[in-house]
Amino acid sequence: MSIVWAVARREIKARMLTRANIVSMAVIVGLIAIGTGVGWFFQHRDSAPATTHIALSSETAPLGPVLAALATTQGVTLETPAMTAEQATASFATPTDATPDAFLDGSPASPTMLVQSAADPTVLDMVTSAVRTYTLDTEVSALGGDPASVAAALAAAVPTVTAAHPPTAALDGAQYGVAMVMVALLFGALIGTGSMISMGVVEEKTSRVVEILLSTIRPSQLLAGKILGVGVYGLFQVLVLGSASAGAAAVLGAGNVLKVSLGASLIWLVVWFLLGYAIFALLFGGFAALVSRQEDIGSVTTPLVMLLLVPFYTTMFLVPNDPQSTLVRVLSIVPIFAPFMLPVRSALGAVQGWELALGLAVTIAVIPGLVWLAARVYRRGVLHTGGKLALREALRSGS
Amino acid sequence: MLEIDQLSKSYGKVVALDGLTFDVRPGEIFGFVGSNGAGKTTAMRIMLGVLAADAGMVRWNGAELDLHTRRTVGYMPEERGLYPKMKVAEQLRYLAGLHGMSPAGAAAAVDHWTDLLGVGPRREDSVDKLSLGNQQRVQLAAALVHDPVLLVLDEPFSGLDPLAVDVMSGVLRERAAAGVPVIFSSHQLDLVERLCDRVGILRSGRMQALGTIDELRTTDRPQWTLSVPDPAAVVLALTGRGIAARNGEDGRTVVVGTRDGDDGLAELDDQAVLQMALTAGPVHEFTRVRPTLADLFRDVVSAAEAPPEEAKHPARRGLFGRRAAA
Repeated sequence: MSIVWAVARREIKARMLTRANIVSMAVIVGLIAIGTGVGWFFQHRDSAPATTHIALSSETAPLGPVLAALATTQGVTLETPAMTAEQATASFATPTDATPDAFLDGSPASPTMLVQSAADPTVLDMVTSAVRTYTLDTEVSALGGDPASVAAALAAAVPTVTAAHPPTAALDGAQYGVAMVMVALLFGALIGTGSMISMGVVEEKTSRVVEILLSTIRPSQLLAGKILGVGVYGLFQVLVLGSASAGAAAVLGAGNVLKVSLGASLIWLVVWFLLGYAIFALLFGGFAALVSRQEDIGSVTTPLVMLLLVPFYTTMFLVPNDPQSTLVRVLSIVPIFAPFMLPVRSALGAVQGWELALGLAVTIAVIPGLVWLAARVYRRGVLHTGGKLALREALRSGS
Repeated sequence: MLEIDQLSKSYGKVVALDGLTFDVRPGEIFGFVGSNGAGKTTAMRIMLGVLAADAGMVRWNGAELDLHTRRTVGYMPEERGLYPKMKVAEQLRYLAGLHGMSPAGAAAAVDHWTDLLGVGPRREDSVDKLSLGNQQRVQLAAALVHDPVLLVLDEPFSGLDPLAVDVMSGVLRERAAAGVPVIFSSHQLDLVERLCDRVGILRSGRMQALGTIDELRTTDRPQWTLSVPDPAAVVLALTGRGIAARNGEDGRTVVVGTRDGDDGLAELDDQAVLQMALTAGPVHEFTRVRPTLADLFRDVVSAAEAPPEEAKHPARRGLFGRRAAA
């Protein structure tokens, strides 16, 4: 085990602590941070809630509570300072921040409204409603009724709407965004680590250092160390980029709007990255041993890249469309699809516990088989030099 | 002691090793010689377990040489291999660690061997920045860094300058003196002759000649070189009595006898030959010629290339017998 870890440590150092890698990670995190900052700026630029000031004289003071109630229901920040007519006139003459939007004087049932030049329509609407409510309450009281129960009855007098054919629950922009970021992160991390492993395997063959290594350690130890080391690098990448993305989503408020649990989504992202990584790292590592030169590497990795592209696109198109469709539910328990579909469906809350458990179980169950396959192909291929070794050849020969 | 016991290996229809058997004793430098494709590299790769033999066994101190023991072997493969982008010291420390050394021990050993092999100042450079000769020295350091109990070196001297050859020879002698069996292959036969305690000449996967340099050079077919003022007269006198003699290449010597023995000398000793030569004139020098390793090597190779010759010399069949399969 210490040998596997020694190999892994070299991989981590060789992959992770290179200047190119550190710079590119810093650039990506920087871009996410800048994007978040820009988004936050635009989100908050217009939304500083302006306070509406409606000044009241001593006569119109009874309108105050009515206006306050209206302001609460309409989500308007309202202040109702008390003023005399003289004060109001003076204030309008020399406008300051304290100048009210309107000054109400006279009878509360038919007040005069003094404004600077023209009445703001929302202020006018609010005042109109307040005056009507006040008049209604006064009349109801005069007739011996209870204004509160009338108000309650009015509030309840709304129709209940039932749609005969409700539209399917399409995701809103933020949900779609979370799903896309997760899929893109998974795809990027899996394809990045996969090609890193295949290039590492072929590099050892090309430089012939593998012969020195294998005179000392087992092929399985070398492959396991490589997969472990690159896995640590991949995990670091997913954690950094995933956390940065989740942080951005939290700042921009996607979590609140959506009821998406960003923390849980991040955990599922990591879990499924590790499972997907186990599958694809074994395939990339084992199959790369079939070739001896960097220029031949495409012939073994292209089919594997296709194996990644298919679930990537399928998830991108099918899941946002309907995360609970039968096709999505069936594909979610197929090992190469599960690492893409299930974390996204978990994030959207569109998956049942048993589906998740089944997907996890099936994926974990295929890994030992892949370990066997990869170790066998790798052991056959890694000391083979020259042209490409046929997969059939690698699987067949004995010992 | 390293024992190679009846190793056989075929690549499809090509037989690379055919019952190869020999041993290398503690403190011995063993030279492994043979033409290209004779099976030296295949044998060494099997010893190190990077290739599986079809049959036969490699034993170390009586037990099969397994992965655990192999970690204590120093190996330099024919195809050199290091991580090109990794720094020299870092790389050697890594390899020493894989051989089971502690980090501190590895660091000290790396310093020691890189200094000794003359690449100390390049420790912090990545391997691909080094010249081929220096890469070769690093490769040697990689084989030596973990204080191996057995050294298996495939052409350790190829590509080295004369100074590095001296350093390397010194290292091999010093290791052998410390009791480590050393086996190395080389085409530089003068070097093998100078350095090795024993030599094995390999052809077509079989050991064709095996022994100390002295044993191999000792032959029951004597030859002599005579330094004489008038070579033509001496040649005439000797050939006239049925003895094979020819002018030497420098025009002042005569070579008596042939290496294949068909020279009429069977019943004659050195004094008889000298007396015959003296009848034709004065003799200034009279030297017994012993075949060099290069001569022996050529014999082995030519025995393979010219099979009809062999039938004429049944006495040699034991040593230079031809394999049945081509």
